[in-house]
Amino acid sequence: MKYNIINTHTHNIDGVAKVTGRATYTVDVTLPGMLYGRILRSPHPHAKIINVDASKALALSGVKGVVTGKDTLGVKQGIWRRYSELCDEQILPLEKVRYIGEPVAAVAAISEEIAEAALDLIEVEYEVLPAVYDAMEAIKKEAPLVHEGVERNINVTRHIEWGDLEEAFEQSEYIREDWFKCSGQAHMCMETRSAVASYTPEGKLTVWTSTQSPYYMQALLAGVLGMKESDVRVIAHYVGGGFGGKFELDGAQFCASVLSMKLFRPVKIVFTREEDFIASKRRTPMYYYVRTGVKKDGTFMAREARVFTEGGAYTSMGATALYLTGFFHSFPYKWQAYRYDGYRVYTNTLPSTSMRGFGAPQAQFCSETQIDIIAKELGIDRFEIRRMNGHTTNYEVPGQATIASCGLEQCINKIEEWVKSRGKLPANRGIGISCYGFMSGGIFNWFDTPYSFSSAVVTINCDGKVDLHVGCQEIGQGSNTTMAMICAEELGVRVEDIRVHSGDTAECPPDLGAWGSRQTLMAGNATKMAAADAKRQLLEFATAKMGPNIVYDLDIKDRWIHLVARPERGIDYFELVKEALRGKEGQRIMGRGYYTPHRKGMISPAYSYGVQALEIDVDPETGKISLLNCVTAHDCGQPVNPLGVHGQLEGAISMAAGYGFLEDLPMEDGKILNPNLVDYKLIRAPEMPETEVIEIETYEPEGPFGAKEAGEGLTNPTAAALSTALYEALGITVKQLPITPEKVLNALREKAKEA
Amino acid sequence: MIKDFKYLRASSVKEALGFLSQHKEESKIICGGQSLLILLRQGLVATEYLIDIKQVNELSYIDFDAKKGLRMGATTTHRTIEKSDLIKKKYKVLSDMERYLAHIQVRNWGTIGGNLAHADPAGDPAPVLMALSGSIKVGSAKGERTISLDDFYTDLFETALEEGEMILEVQVPALAPKTGAAYKKFNILESDQGIISVAACVTLNGGSTCKEARICLGNAAPTVIRAKQAEAKLKGQKLDEGLLEEVGLAAVAECDPVADIHASEDFRRHLVGIFTKRMVKQAWEAAKKA
Amino acid sequence: MERHLLRITVNGQEHELYINPKTLLVEVIRDHLGLTGTKRGCETVSCGACTMIVEGMSVKGCSVLAMQVDGLKVTTVEGLEDHGKLHPIQKAFIDHGSYQCGFCTSGMLMSSKALLDENPKATIKEIREGLDGNLCRCTGYNSIVRAVDAVCKGQYREDEA
Repeated sequence: MKYNIINTHTHNIDGVAKVTGRATYTVDVTLPGMLYGRILRSPHPHAKIINVDASKALALSGVKGVVTGKDTLGVKQGIWRRYSELCDEQILPLEKVRYIGEPVAAVAAISEEIAEAALDLIEVEYEVLPAVYDAMEAIKKEAPLVHEGVERNINVTRHIEWGDLEEAFEQSEYIREDWFKCSGQAHMCMETRSAVASYTPEGKLTVWTSTQSPYYMQALLAGVLGMKESDVRVIAHYVGGGFGGKFELDGAQFCASVLSMKLFRPVKIVFTREEDFIASKRRTPMYYYVRTGVKKDGTFMAREARVFTEGGAYTSMGATALYLTGFFHSFPYKWQAYRYDGYRVYTNTLPSTSMRGFGAPQAQFCSETQIDIIAKELGIDRFEIRRMNGHTTNYEVPGQATIASCGLEQCINKIEEWVKSRGKLPANRGIGISCYGFMSGGIFNWFDTPYSFSSAVVTINCDGKVDLHVGCQEIGQGSNTTMAMICAEELGVRVEDIRVHSGDTAECPPDLGAWGSRQTLMAGNATKMAAADAKRQLLEFATAKMGPNIVYDLDIKDRWIHLVARPERGIDYFELVKEALRGKEGQRIMGRGYYTPHRKGMISPAYSYGVQALEIDVDPETGKISLLNCVTAHDCGQPVNPLGVHGQLEGAISMAAGYGFLEDLPMEDGKILNPNLVDYKLIRAPEMPETEVIEIETYEPEGPFGAKEAGEGLTNPTAAALSTALYEALGITVKQLPITPEKVLNALREKAKEA
Repeated sequence: MIKDFKYLRASSVKEALGFLSQHKEESKIICGGQSLLILLRQGLVATEYLIDIKQVNELSYIDFDAKKGLRMGATTTHRTIEKSDLIKKKYKVLSDMERYLAHIQVRNWGTIGGNLAHADPAGDPAPVLMALSGSIKVGSAKGERTISLDDFYTDLFETALEEGEMILEVQVPALAPKTGAAYKKFNILESDQGIISVAACVTLNGGSTCKEARICLGNAAPTVIRAKQAEAKLKGQKLDEGLLEEVGLAAVAECDPVADIHASEDFRRHLVGIFTKRMVKQAWEAAKKA
Repeated sequence: MERHLLRITVNGQEHELYINPKTLLVEVIRDHLGLTGTKRGCETVSCGACTMIVEGMSVKGCSVLAMQVDGLKVTTVEGLEDHGKLHPIQKAFIDHGSYQCGFCTSGMLMSSKALLDENPKATIKEIREGLDGNLCRCTGYNSIVRAVDAVCKGQYREDEA
């Protein structure tokens, strides 16, 4: 399908601001009378707070105030608002601390230096309690309880099941079981957590912050501060990355707000990079047990998975990650029977939460690694075993989802073609593959919002330019541009005719925000609906003015309102707008749109698919892996913003490959050992492989112009592809992430011993 | 936050040495500051007086003559060394090493003197300079002396510099004919410091036996060290796979690495063996062609 | 604490400031002169978000003492644009989608400019090495490499409109 704007090379509309240094992020915000805040953090993984004495700090010249949990309403908050038992976090706790780095107090002063000096002057008396760090240790009877009354530290359980598992295993001709350990990962946004909060005498709070969801922040802040939502305004014009770590309430936002409410002055808190590592939440580490049964011909019969996740000290988004990992562990294949049991375990460590992929990268790593081994042992081609079992259009994941569009088979074919074209590889080189499928936003409303999930308003001004108000949040993924493109295409104008308003709860409609890869589909649908509404109103006037035969339709394309059957007969869009407004008593034409998924299964209204091939080189003497090439065939339905999609793919590869072999957050006694960018390793330009993307276009009926997500799903396959590449290159498997050189060498030694 | 200090800018060596002699242990020298500033910001180091020698241009030079060899002034930046045609021609191992030292931004401002004074056992220049039989000329208000790289490092992050002394110059002798050198660090990100590193310099008799060998190990002990037993194995010998194995094993036995989050002790030892073999072989090949 | 006089030329404009000598160059640029285009992303000289150009050399502003730049010329991202006319590297970034969240972008642009000024015909390998000091979490670097490569190949000759 060819469109004027959809799927054309379009410049990101925030481009000029970002390349000229004009874009102002939270850290760049300066307000009159602004104070600088810093947070005092717990040095203990588990301790009762006996007393906090801030007198010496308050006596320091330049210090304006200190707050602790006692200055708050003590609300236990969480993003799962529908389930109060999962709202377990007081950001400034009153009674005890549960992880090293947890906020205990916050201070505001006239300079950052004074605020930092003040931290050393706050005396906290703790009663240290026994702590537990490992999920498998924490579920033991004798383990200390992180939260009172939560037996065995089991925070959440999830269960997914279909088919007769025992029967399916009975019918299997080959059964295999494996244990895996998936690591955590830091979001490592270039912009650390930050907020400027300003509370004024009229009882209104404005918070500039780096967030993926201004609406969530608004609602959560109102909840913890005892305010009405509408008296809280959250502004996020430019956000320096989110990746799943910035849609929960964090210490910067909360402490800055509490301080500002006490002092009636703006307070800015910006996390140092070290704080960002130790005190902003991370990807969920998981222990995975997988048992799989297949027929000799490769037909997938039964899969059973048991997962324990290291939840850290609070629920955060971990409940969703627990569910999604179990769901996507079955993807993208048809299983006769499937059973998943997930247990999220509290530990005295940094809470684990959502991170791009939301449990699916872990799921894919385990699943695909095992599938390759099964294929090899049965002597079945690794592409064939995936193709024969892969999802297809209209497949129903029993009780969970209906797949309305699926380009998986085409993706497998394209990647198979590419791999074959590489021919025979030199020694110590291998190409690994991995399939994936992912959601385009979730159907869940655990936030318990009464609002539509996405809303949009299109306003046409007298000069024909359009103001598009959306609640979806631009965090770098290009949603402002994508919405502008959808609006322009639907309305029949150009992207440069659209001005997008986002990132301000006072000016924009509510939207759940940028997570779960939901915005293109959900906010896109809302935007399309709003544009269609505005267009319909314009066309009413056009029809009246042009007076065509009743059998003719009108449409607008590229600023030209015309008869569809006779496109040369029409009126200039700008001309018509002026007249149309007069006909509406001088009122601007406004179109409203919204979207909430209804009856779309248990997870998502639509699923993207893809297959990735990763070519690596391994030095068998040192275990060092080098990434050479990465080719991805993917189905995001109708691509909307191709420059954006390509960017998402390449960014996803660097993050997901990093997860596979480089990034880790090792801890000792609950303390993160590498909270800085020297010791936490990330892929840089020289390590990035050459990349290629192959678009497989399908049409997703639920998505705007047939579009599905592209951005989070792409993070799922790379760690898996790295693992299977290692298997191809050297015949070894490392089942513990990240796949470091040392682990590779150990696996090689094991293999040599077995030989 | 950096603790306040009194700032003294030196515009000449004489002035710098004067400040040092005046303020003694209450003062610290800063040149490029690429190592020192992080320590100051983290509060690991504090000083009453900071003597800034960044603009002491008389110490920024690269000179060479066939007799005396190479002399590089202490405030010469890494980037200058990396890009120097002279160094590329005469001591390619040095420019190759500089190319992967940290990042361009750090190399543009950081200096060879500052790097060597910082005494990080994982630093790139020290093992290479040691393998090339380099020395460091230091000066104080009382005079100058030259210290061999072999003796310059006394303990973890500690040097033989005495109170009132600062590095003035790095000296590398002219290379004997049939000499080749090689350096490599093991890392996953190419600009990272090495999990371990090995520098080898081999001089051949005629073309087939080893006249002299120097093997220096980085990040495999509290300081950069010479693997002398490994070196001894090569002396007078012809190179073959068997000898290389022995040399590697000897270096492994001589090193004393620590375990940290990046590598276990065993893995570091293993890598020392691998890289010693690789660098000796590479240096030998380069010597044959020289 | 005694303040010292710092004379610094930034984007062609001379400034005189009295500063605490422990002030970092990036603090002078962002906090004293209000040029917030340059960002800060770490405390260990690792991320490169604070990259700017001093006397033609790219440096990380967080690891340069401001006093050391006394009498020298500094260029920041704000100095690339000329009265609304974008620098070729800025145009290339926009064309190639070489930024997403934009936080690393100023640093990337300055590293790219320094690289191009020194080596206008850089190879892909040299471009990757030239950007090694700058972290990006969003783009995976390749679009940035493509943009710099396009400038090297002459696609943005400054005399073109």
